[in-house]
Amino acid sequence: MSNAVEIRDLHYRAGKSFEIRELALNVPTGSMYGFLGPNGSGKTTTIRLILGLLRAQRGTITVLGGRVPEETPRILARTGYVPESPHLYPSLTVAEAMRFHAAFYPTWDPRWAADLQETFGLESQSLVGRLSKGERGKLEMLLALAQRPELLVLDEPTDGLDPVVRRDLLTALLDHVSQHNATVFISSHLVHELERICDWVGVMDRGRLVAELPMHSFKSGIKRLRVANAPALLGDTPFVVLSREPGEGAAEMWTVRGWQAPMSQWISGVGATLRDVIDLDLEEGFVELLRTFRGPRA
Amino acid sequence: MFDHIDPRSPTPLYAQIAERLKVAVAAGELRPGESLPSVRQLAARLRLNPATIAQAYRELESEGFVEMRQGSGTFIKDVATERRASERSDQAVRLVRAMLAEAAKLGIQKDDLLRAMDRELGAKVS
Repeated sequence: MSNAVEIRDLHYRAGKSFEIRELALNVPTGSMYGFLGPNGSGKTTTIRLILGLLRAQRGTITVLGGRVPEETPRILARTGYVPESPHLYPSLTVAEAMRFHAAFYPTWDPRWAADLQETFGLESQSLVGRLSKGERGKLEMLLALAQRPELLVLDEPTDGLDPVVRRDLLTALLDHVSQHNATVFISSHLVHELERICDWVGVMDRGRLVAELPMHSFKSGIKRLRVANAPALLGDTPFVVLSREPGEGAAEMWTVRGWQAPMSQWISGVGATLRDVIDLDLEEGFVELLRTFRGPRA
Repeated sequence: MFDHIDPRSPTPLYAQIAERLKVAVAAGELRPGESLPSVRQLAARLRLNPATIAQAYRELESEGFVEMRQGSGTFIKDVATERRASERSDQAVRLVRAMLAEAAKLGIQKDDLLRAMDRELGAKVS
């Protein structure tokens, strides 16, 4: 399978406080890739590097088969981008902003732009600077989608928007993906939203990619176990124990990675009893992963 | 029909959708020749990745429940009566297993379960 975005051995340093080190990342073509991470983990910086808006000190970035920064103009012509904070001219009207944007993209689809404008309820003559936050979010998404991009890069596209607007944006996005097989790279901390639509997950923390895997592996591999009469020392476990905490009575709660049902035999083998296997959803899995990656310091 | 699709469940979404459609076929809710919504429509309606819907349809096709006709859509196949009956009994086993697992967690014993079952079934009949 080819990758729409491929990053190898990337180093980027801004000042003393923040750096991205040895970043390797793959976004498979046609996937919807959820890019997770706490605030300040380097998500936006990574996105800006991918789009050639920042220069890395070392490493390679390939987007839609072209190298960044050498081929950035060709890449950007085929990429839709919704930035974290709007970058539109406030003195333009909605119609002018659309015409202005269309001029840069030969693949601009005027009919769909008009459809979206109607669906989103954006008045042609409204000034961009006077739009509400939700309307601005819709206009940004309209501009990115109507250029019919092969790759969509969305940086917190629904952050701070109400559920109705979020739903409209998501529906329009899914419509584009089903018609054009586009690749979507979406960063968000609205984890539940990503859980519905994404088939790949990448997790950033402190400038490093701490996990990258298909959504179903991410969700199925991490479990919470309720174990009674467990020995203090476990020795070699067939799964990775991320944490152990006392529970009620003789029971303990373990958070484990790489769990498979036959491994319950190992637990009885050390004289303990497996009382329960609890599934974690994406959000809980994400929190556990960060907690253990950060170790006792956090 | 898809009210019970749960993105937080560890059962993959495509499997949940395929399962739900199989139940509908087994129950006669969906009739032979009826068409399923397009991948695009269903993805938009459920707000799910179109790839997930397409995977569910492919699974149903490989199990002989639907037929995908190039360019015109996905249609329910004429599933034999015995096949529908066996799908219903598979579903019954799944329901009971889920109930037993839940009961074990709560420490509910067999007798309590059977009594509750009789009572509920009785209430439905009368």
